[in-house]
Amino acid sequence: MGKYTFIITEKPDAAQRIASALDLKGKPKKMEENGVPYYIAERDKQIIVVPAIGHLYTVAEEKGGRNYYPVFSFRWVPRYMAERGAKQIRVWLETISKLAKDADTYIDACDYDIEGSIIGYCILKYACGNKEAVAKRMKYSTLTKEELEKSYEELLPKLDFALIEAGRTRHEIDWLYGVNLSRALTIAAKDWSGKYATLSTGRVQGPTLRFLVAREKAIRSFVPTPYWQIRAEIEINGQVFEAEYEKVVIETKKEANALVDACKGKDGVVENIEVKQFQQMPPTPFDIGALQSEAYSLFGYTPRRTLDIAQRLYLDALISYPRTSSQKLPPAINYEAILKSLSGVSEYRRLAAELLSKKELKPNEGKKEDPAHPAIYPTGNLPERVLEEPERRIWDLVVRRFMAVFGEPAVRQSLKVCINVDGQRFFLKGRQTLKEGWLRFYEPYVRSEEVLLPPLEEGQKLKVRRIILEDKFTKPPPRYNPGSLLKRMEEAGIGTKATRADIIQTLYDRKYVRDERMIVTDLGFEVLEVLKKHCPPIVSIGLTRKLEERMDKIQASQEKRENVLLDAIEILKPVVDGLKAKEKTIGEQLSIAIKRARLEERIVGPCPICGTGMLMILYSRKTGKRFIGCTNFFKKKCNAAFPLPQMGTARPLGKNCRGCGWPTVQIRIKGRRPWNLCFNPKCPLKEEKRNIEMRSVQ
Amino acid sequence: MKCAVCNREAVENGYCELHARAYQSIMKKYEIWRKALEISWKEYLSEIVKNPFTGEWAREVAEHLIKTGEEKGGA
Repeated sequence: MGKYTFIITEKPDAAQRIASALDLKGKPKKMEENGVPYYIAERDKQIIVVPAIGHLYTVAEEKGGRNYYPVFSFRWVPRYMAERGAKQIRVWLETISKLAKDADTYIDACDYDIEGSIIGYCILKYACGNKEAVAKRMKYSTLTKEELEKSYEELLPKLDFALIEAGRTRHEIDWLYGVNLSRALTIAAKDWSGKYATLSTGRVQGPTLRFLVAREKAIRSFVPTPYWQIRAEIEINGQVFEAEYEKVVIETKKEANALVDACKGKDGVVENIEVKQFQQMPPTPFDIGALQSEAYSLFGYTPRRTLDIAQRLYLDALISYPRTSSQKLPPAINYEAILKSLSGVSEYRRLAAELLSKKELKPNEGKKEDPAHPAIYPTGNLPERVLEEPERRIWDLVVRRFMAVFGEPAVRQSLKVCINVDGQRFFLKGRQTLKEGWLRFYEPYVRSEEVLLPPLEEGQKLKVRRIILEDKFTKPPPRYNPGSLLKRMEEAGIGTKATRADIIQTLYDRKYVRDERMIVTDLGFEVLEVLKKHCPPIVSIGLTRKLEERMDKIQASQEKRENVLLDAIEILKPVVDGLKAKEKTIGEQLSIAIKRARLEERIVGPCPICGTGMLMILYSRKTGKRFIGCTNFFKKKCNAAFPLPQMGTARPLGKNCRGCGWPTVQIRIKGRRPWNLCFNPKCPLKEEKRNIEMRSVQ
Repeated sequence: MKCAVCNREAVENGYCELHARAYQSIMKKYEIWRKALEISWKEYLSEIVKNPFTGEWAREVAEHLIKTGEEKGGA
C-alpha cells in the first residue's frame, strides 16, 4: 500500500458514514482485521477510515491495586489495563496502530466535543506514535454526505488543544475525586462489616445526591396546612360552568362556611368582562437537556435513554449531533433544503410547504450557545430502515420542534368574567386560541387548553345552581424524576451535557435512590450524611461549580490545566485524610445503612393476615427456596407464608393489587418480560380468571 | 441517647436530626390548624396522622406524641 490518509472516528457507524461520503463512488471497501472493521475509500488518494469504540484510554493510578487510598499519581493507560472486561480493546488498539503505521496524513474525525476530542487525541498520541501534533481535524455536526465532504475539504489545520486540555483535566479531576472518595467509603464499610458493597461518590454525584436528600427531607417532614376553596356552578343557556371565588385560599373553616351561607340561593350578575389577547412565542430549538426533559414528560423516557436514542438517530444521519447545549440554528444548515427533504414524508408535507411559502425563515432561537455545534435539528435525510418506535418518536419530536421554531407566534385570548353573587365575586375563566401559529407545527406535543364561554353581557343575570365548598390541604413538594433532576443539575451548573444522565443512572445503580419518582433510600441518606459530616466541601455545589468554571476557562485558554489540577488536589487531600482518620466510625454508619437497605429491598409490605407484621422475601433454611413470610413468624404470632417462583429475581413492587389490595412483587427472568405477581391465592382477580378459563373450556 | 422514634442518635428534643425536623414542622403548623379548624392539640395530631399528605417522619412523630400524650411545648 502506498501513502494514504488515516482517519480515526469515534464509532463504527460513523466510520462507515464517513467512508461512504468520501469515497468517490460512494462504495468504500469494508475490511476487517482481528474483528476490527475499517473502510478503504478512494478519493484524491486512498483513505483508511478506522473506528474507535468510544474511549480506548482512561485515567488510572500509576501503581496497581484497588484496595487503597489516597491515590494522587495517575497516568493515561489503555482501558484494558485498568478495567476488567475490556480485553477486546487491546486487539482494537493493536489494529489501529498497524493501520496507522504507513499513513502520511492523519485526521481526527471523532465527534467535535470534549469527549470526542479526547478519544481522537489519545489514539493519535498513544496508538499512532505521537501523531497528535501533526493531525488535522474534521469538524461536522451531522453525518450527511454534503457536510462530511465539506468538512474533509475544509479540514481544521490542527486539533483543538484547548478543548483537549479541558477534557483531560475534567477526566483527571473526576477520577481523583471518584477514586479516593468511593474507595474511602467502600473500604470503611468493608473493613467494619467484612462484607463488600460498592459505594461511590464523586465531584458531581455528591451534590446531585444532596439535591435529592434535601427534597426527600422536605417531603418526609411535611405537615400539610388546611384551607378551603369555594366555587359556584353557574347556569348559562342551559350549560353549567364553574366559577372560582375571588379569594383562592380561605384560611378558616368558619369564614368558608359563612361565605357559602351568604351566597346560597342567590343569583349572580355579570359585573364586568375582561378580555385579554396575548402572544405565545414559538419554542426554542432543542438542546440536549430540553430534548431529554421533553422526552421524559411526553414519553417517560429517562435522560439516558433519550440520549442513546438520539445518538442512534445521529449515527443514522437523521438528526444533528445531539450532545449540544446550543439553542441556535445558523442559516448555514440550510433551512429550506431540510424542509424540502422533509416534504418527502406525507405527515410533514403540508406543514413543510407552509413554512417554505414564507418570505423569510427565521427561527426563534434561545440564549444558550455551544461553540462546537448548533441546536439539535433534523438533517432532512429520511430513514433508510424501519425505525423502532422509540426512535420514530424522538425523530418525529425533533422534526416537529424544528418546524415549530419557524412558526408564527400563536395568538390566544383569555376571558375573565366577574360575577357578583350578593356582594361576593366569582370569576369565570375562558381561554381560546385565536391564531394557531406555531402550535399546529408542534402537534400533538403541545397542549393548549381551550375553555370556550358562551356570549355574555355586563349586567346579565345568571342562575347560581350550587355553591361548592372544598376542603383542601397544601401538598408536599414533588419528588424529582430523572427529567427534573437533570434540569436542576443544569440550573446549578454541575456536570456536563454528556455526563449528567450517567450520574443519575449511577445513583440508581448504587441503590441510593429507587423508583421513577425518585425516593432516597436509607443508604442514600447515610452516604450523604457521612459526606456532609466528614467532608462538607465535597457535597457543596459551590466547589463543583467553581471547578466547572475553571475547566471552562482552560477551554478558553484563560487558565492552565496544571493549576486547576493542583488546586483540586489541595482541596481533596485533607478531605481524604479526614475520612481515613474516621474510617471506623464511617464504616459502622455505612455498614448499618447497607444492612438496612438490603433488608428494605426484601420487605414486601404489611401482612394482611395478622395486620401487625411485615411480609418479607425469605429463604427456607431447609430447602433454600424463596417464599414470602411474615416477620411475626419468628415471634410465633403469624404463620402466613406464600410460595414464589424460584427462577429469576423477585423484588417488592411497592404497589398493591387492584383486586385484593395485597402488596405485590415483580418477577424478572432474563430474556422475558417482567411480570407483576399477586401472591394472594384467594385474590378475586385470580378467581375471575379461573372462572373465565372454566367457561371457555366448557 | 437514641431517637424516640428510630434507632438514630438523638440530637434535639429526644429526636434524631431527621425526626427533629419533622417535630419542628408539627409544632410550627399547629397554630395554623388551631385557627383554621378550632381544634385541640390532640385532635390536630390525630388529623395529621390520618392525612395522606403528611410526610412519613412527621406521621411517626405525631404517632409518638399521641402515644406518649405529650402536650404542646413538651409538657
